[in-house]
Amino acid sequence: MSEAGERRREPLEAFAQSRSLTLGVELELQIVNTQDYDLSPSAADLLRVLKRDRMPGDVKPEITSSIVEISTGICEDYDCALSQLRALRDALGAAASRMNLGLCGGGTHPFQQWSHQKIYPAPRFHRLSEMYGYLSKQFTVFGQHVHIGCENPDEALWLLHSLSPYIPHLIAMSASSPFVQGVDTGYNSARLNSVSAFPLSGRAPFVLSWDEFGKFFDKMTRTGVVESMKDFYWDVRPKPEFGTIEVRVMDTPLTLEKAAGIAAYIQSVARWLIEERPTEPAEDDYLVYTFNRFQACRFGFDGVYVDPKTAVHRTIREDILATMDRIRPHAAALGALSACEELAEDARTRGSDASWIRDQFANERLLAEVVRRQTLRWNG
Amino acid sequence: MPQNSIAALLPAWPPQPEALLWIALAVVATGLVGEFGFRALRLPRVTGYFVVGVVFSAFGFDLKATQLTGSLRTVFDLALSVLLFELGTRVNLRWIRANPWLPATSLLESALAFCAMLALLLYTGAELATAMSVSVILLSTSPAIVMRVVSEFRAHGQVTERLMLLCALNTVYAVLAAKVLQGWLHHSGGGSDLTALALPLYVVLGSTALGFVLALSIRWVTRRFNLADDNAVLLLLGMLMLALALVQIGRFSPLLTPLAAGIVLKNNWQRPIVFPRHLGTAGGVLVAMLFLATGMAASPQQFVAGGLIAVALVAVRTAAKIFATASLGIPSGLSMRQAVALGVALAPVSGVAFALTADLQAVSPDLALQASGIVFSAIAILELFGPLAVRWALSRCGETGV
Repeated sequence: MSEAGERRREPLEAFAQSRSLTLGVELELQIVNTQDYDLSPSAADLLRVLKRDRMPGDVKPEITSSIVEISTGICEDYDCALSQLRALRDALGAAASRMNLGLCGGGTHPFQQWSHQKIYPAPRFHRLSEMYGYLSKQFTVFGQHVHIGCENPDEALWLLHSLSPYIPHLIAMSASSPFVQGVDTGYNSARLNSVSAFPLSGRAPFVLSWDEFGKFFDKMTRTGVVESMKDFYWDVRPKPEFGTIEVRVMDTPLTLEKAAGIAAYIQSVARWLIEERPTEPAEDDYLVYTFNRFQACRFGFDGVYVDPKTAVHRTIREDILATMDRIRPHAAALGALSACEELAEDARTRGSDASWIRDQFANERLLAEVVRRQTLRWNG
Repeated sequence: MPQNSIAALLPAWPPQPEALLWIALAVVATGLVGEFGFRALRLPRVTGYFVVGVVFSAFGFDLKATQLTGSLRTVFDLALSVLLFELGTRVNLRWIRANPWLPATSLLESALAFCAMLALLLYTGAELATAMSVSVILLSTSPAIVMRVVSEFRAHGQVTERLMLLCALNTVYAVLAAKVLQGWLHHSGGGSDLTALALPLYVVLGSTALGFVLALSIRWVTRRFNLADDNAVLLLLGMLMLALALVQIGRFSPLLTPLAAGIVLKNNWQRPIVFPRHLGTAGGVLVAMLFLATGMAASPQQFVAGGLIAVALVAVRTAAKIFATASLGIPSGLSMRQAVALGVALAPVSGVAFALTADLQAVSPDLALQASGIVFSAIAILELFGPLAVRWALSRCGETGV
């Protein structure tokens, strides 16, 4: 999202150097009231009373006032991400209970009405709201973003495209948005359908060198459609300012343990790709990309997965478990093995957060009660 | 031509209007004026209802609040019950524990407003008993106006939540203070020592116990019936009426009982219960009638009868509440703008004050008469401007949804 309109047509910024495979996690959280558990436009109130001393990372507002985003600092591993997320959750939770508010994960709020949402009072969000109209209020959805540090920009682009076959895994693992506007959509991650409405969403162009990417970026800025990298809403995008690539397809999971686990899974896959170079990315990998992505959103672990290299069909569950076997030594080296095993167990038996939400609704028949239970799970 | 027999069947000329006609006209006017004020001027509809009541009372169709008895009192109490129950379901006791600045703000705003009003009245020469009565009657913020304006403007946010909480708490204080006062008046009128102390205790315990039973029954209804149905609304209103009947038999508080029921329901079970506004259309109509009736109880002369003292009373009361919320606003987690708006929104007075006046009238007719000039002026002023104050405060903080 564009930081300042006045910086028109600036050149692509230099790619900052960062240590390979470092980690950063951002989570967009739902702010709900404790009466009927609908969204509450209270981000400004929360941020005002938040005690920031001794809190790692950062807490920021998002486009509508019912969203608050927490982000860790730079982490080496799963344990660091988890402990930072816990500290952030506790600080924010203390602020929320002072203000009679609840916080929870989940990619969508199950019954909020998008037209009731309010744009957060900041110039940047008002500009976006003018540009995108009702889409900005409909964009009241909650995602997890994971940054992976890259030593140089060419490695970043290589990793960005090498990760594309694993995007369906991440969607299925994090899926937690079955309900939208009070109805069961039949999707496991309905949130990504809101992202697709934006003109610059989708996947990054297939270029593997930073020079080539700079040329693409210049051409785009010359058209006037784009002002900065933040205007691209790609599934994975380079973040030159941080020296990272940012994976943006995940729903915010219901627990921060799962959020940290998914970050660790991405880190482990990235380490395996970089160290073993099992395949090289190719433009044709993207032939099946949108099909696989759709299957993951719609059916979760049960979705059909088409292998981009071999065109073999299997379920996303099978592909996750097969990948787990390959990355196990790398996960162990990163201290992420048990976190990754938990995710594999979800795929094998427990199911995703989306199925948990559906089960709760089947028993309780009241979405407000489902959201209340989400707040309990978030608080741990 | 047998003219005589035909004349007997035709209506008399000029026509003789009956009470029903006036009531019907008042109800039609209420609906039209309320909606017109809302659409054209963004006035809360309740202001329109109240104004229609005042106009009709100016033409001689008035209700004397001091004669609020019998079946009229029952309708009045039922409408108030609905609103107090709704208010009770918005009181989150865990929030009070999590943020101790909230009970502090509540005690400060009530104590300051009470002392300021008492001092003013004593300074201007009122007797102690009269000054106490007036200050107790005007202690609380109108739950009727607060709940009505909040739901009409679909308000939500910090100021809205705190307004409802402080309103519920100061209503409790007002009822308790009125009972203590009743006991005291009874005592100084020759009653026993025991009555002075036992009356408030009896009323609080009895009302709370009855409220608990009411909460259990309502919970039973919410689990077995669909709250969107007319049938469930009928049941809920029936239960509130039944509770009111038991209140009369036991001489508990018709204000405290539904409020207690709401609080128990909200805090004893964690599963959220989502009630339709004012318990549905039937409750909504009752609430509208409540405002029409309070308007009819106020005549235009009453706005001026209290003279400058009433105006000064309104001013010190409002100033005390704003001072309290503004001074504790920042530590309690509000911005200064929100804190001041909260104080302004605490201004309105209506139905509860009428009910308390009627209660005091029952114990001490003379006293109510002495106090009535000032009280009714202050009530009339705060009932007319109260909804506007709430609306202004909530929209200034960006909490209205309409």
